[in-house]
Amino acid sequence: MSIKRSLLGVSFRVFHLMVLIFLFIGLQAYAVDPEVPDSEDAISAGQSIFNANCKTCHRLDQKLIGPALRGVTERRELDWTKRFILNSQAVIQSGDATAVALYKEYNNAVMPAHDFLSDGDLMNLLAYIEYGDKADPEAAASAAAGGAAVGGGSGGGIPSEYLTIILVVLVIVLILVLVVLGLIVSVLTKYMNNSDKLDADDKEFINQKTDYLSILKSDGFIVIVTTIVLAFVVKTAVDGLYTIGVQQGYAPSQPIAYSHELHAGQYEIPCQYCHTGVEIGKSANIPSANICMNCHMHIQNVGGKEGISPEIAKIYAAVDNDQPIEWVRVHNLPDLAYFNHSQHVAVGGVECQTCHGPIEEMEVVYQHSSLTMGWCIDCHRNTEITTQGNEYYDKLVQLHSESKDALKVKDIGGLECAKCHY
Amino acid sequence: MKRVTSIYSLAVVGIALGMVSCSAEGDYPGTEYAPQMYHSVPYEPLSQIPNEEEGMWLSNREDGKGEFYNSNPNNQHKMNMRMPVPNTVPRDPRGVLPYRLRVADLEGAALVENPIEVDDQVLAEGRELYVQYCSSCHGTGGEGDGKVGEVIGGVANLKGGAYINLPEGHIFHVITHGKGRMGAHGSQITADRRWKIVHYVKQEIQTQ
Repeated sequence: MSIKRSLLGVSFRVFHLMVLIFLFIGLQAYAVDPEVPDSEDAISAGQSIFNANCKTCHRLDQKLIGPALRGVTERRELDWTKRFILNSQAVIQSGDATAVALYKEYNNAVMPAHDFLSDGDLMNLLAYIEYGDKADPEAAASAAAGGAAVGGGSGGGIPSEYLTIILVVLVIVLILVLVVLGLIVSVLTKYMNNSDKLDADDKEFINQKTDYLSILKSDGFIVIVTTIVLAFVVKTAVDGLYTIGVQQGYAPSQPIAYSHELHAGQYEIPCQYCHTGVEIGKSANIPSANICMNCHMHIQNVGGKEGISPEIAKIYAAVDNDQPIEWVRVHNLPDLAYFNHSQHVAVGGVECQTCHGPIEEMEVVYQHSSLTMGWCIDCHRNTEITTQGNEYYDKLVQLHSESKDALKVKDIGGLECAKCHY
Repeated sequence: MKRVTSIYSLAVVGIALGMVSCSAEGDYPGTEYAPQMYHSVPYEPLSQIPNEEEGMWLSNREDGKGEFYNSNPNNQHKMNMRMPVPNTVPRDPRGVLPYRLRVADLEGAALVENPIEVDDQVLAEGRELYVQYCSSCHGTGGEGDGKVGEVIGGVANLKGGAYINLPEGHIFHVITHGKGRMGAHGSQITADRRWKIVHYVKQEIQTQ
C-alpha cells in the first residue's frame, strides 16, 4: 500500500515537473513575437548589425551598460521596440512611461539614434536578438576565466630560470664527480696496500696525508688570501663610491599604489595617454586627476570586484576636494644638467623603455638607468640620427656625406658641454 | 696568526662597507655628493618639498629654512605650479583663440570646420595620435574593441551606423568635452592635434 502510494507520488511529481519544463520551453520558444523571422539568413544579417551598433553596450543574456536584450519582443510591443531603437531619445521625450523608467534605471545613459536602420534591418536585428548565439553561459564564463588565467601566466624571466637550473645541475654533476674520484682514490689505496710488491718509499707515497694546517700557515697561502681579500675590499669600496649621487634603483612608495604593470602592461595604455608632455615639452608630466577620471569614472575597482577600491577612492577624494595628489618624483636630474623629453622622444624617436626600462612590468616604478653623465654620453656616441623626413638635418647630412661613419649624435654637437650644461 | 686575524677583520670591514653601501633602494634615494647641487634653488614644479626642516643640517638660507625646502606658500596647497590667472586666454602659435563652444552645443559644433588641411603627413601624425589617445578604448581599428574599452563598456564603434556620418566638428567637440561615457580629453590633447585625429578618423577609419 505504502509502496503504491509513494510510486503514485513520484509519478505525480514527475508529471508536474514535465508540465513545468514544457511550459518553460514553451515560454522560451513561443513568447517571441511571431512577426520576428527565425531564418538563418535573418539571424546572421542581424548579427552583423548587432556587432556594428549594439555590442559595446548590450549583450543578449547579460546586463551591461544597457539591459540584456533577449526576450525584448516578449516584454515590449514590437512597434515600441522599433521606435526605441530608431530614436530612443524621441520616445523618452514623448513621455512614454516605460521608456522613461528604463532611462532612469540605466543612469540616464543616452542610446544613440539608429535612424539609418531600415525596417528589414530592424527585423533581422530582432531575429538575432531573439534566436542568435544561444550559448551555454557557464561554458562562456569558464572559457573567459581560462583565457584570463592564460593571459596572467605569461611573462618574462624564462632565460634566467634556465640559467639557474643549468648552474644547479652543473654543481650537482661536479659534486658527484668529486665523490666518485674520492671513492676511486680510496679503493686504489686499499688495493695498493694489500699488494706486497711495494717497497717502503712507495708505501709512504701511497699513505701520505696532506697537512692542511701547514698549508694554511704557509706564507704563499697568506699572500694569496690577502691579495684576494684586498682586491675584494677595494672593489666594494670603489663600487660603493660610484653609487654616491646615483639614484639607480630608487623606488619610492607613492601616495596611491598605482601599478604600471596593470595599466601599461595588461591594458596596454600608451605612455603618452597620461604623460602628455613627453612629445611637446621638457617634462613628461605626471597626469592630473582628471586624466585618471576619464576611465575611473566607470572603473571603480580592480579585477571586476564589487565596491570601490581604497586606492581608487583616493582619486575620487582628490577630485572632490580639489586637492593635488602628492606623487613622489622618481627621476631627479640636478639643475646643472638640462634634459628635454620632446627632443629625445618626438625628434629622436627614442622609445620610453630605452631609458626607463621595462616600465610595463613594474608594479612599483624604480629608476632603471643610472642617469649619470657617462650614461648620457655613451648613448650620444653610439646613437645614429634618423634624418629622414626632417629638413633640419639636410645640410648636416650633406656636410657629413664624405665621412665613412654614420651620422651620430656626437657629430652634431651631442658631446658639447654647453648642450646640456648652461 | 696575527696577520690572519687582521686579514679577516679587514674582510669583515669590507663586506660591511658593501652592505651599508651608498646606493639607492626603496624609499632611500642614496647618498648624495654635494647635496646642494641636487636640490633645486628655484621653484621646481614637479618635485616640490613642502617640509621646511628638510636639509636643515647643511642649510645656510637666510630665512632659516632647510636647504631642500622647495614650496611656494603663496599658492593654493603650497604648490609650485599654478593655474593661469582667471580669464587669461591662451592662443596657439597661429594666433587662434581656444575652442569656446559649450559642452551641450553639439549642433553648433557640427558646423565648425577643420582648420588643418589633410596631407599624408597629417594623416600619419593623426594615426600616431589616435593610437596614443584613442586606441585603448576605441581599438586600433575604431571598432570599440580596445582593451580598456572592454572594461569600461559602452565604447562607440566609430564604424557603426550612428557614428559613420558624423561631421568633423562633432568629433572634435566630443574629443574636447567628452560625451556619454567618454571623458573630456581637451586638457590632454592640444586643439591642433585633436583636429589631426579627426582627419585620421574621417579619412582612414571611417572609410574602411
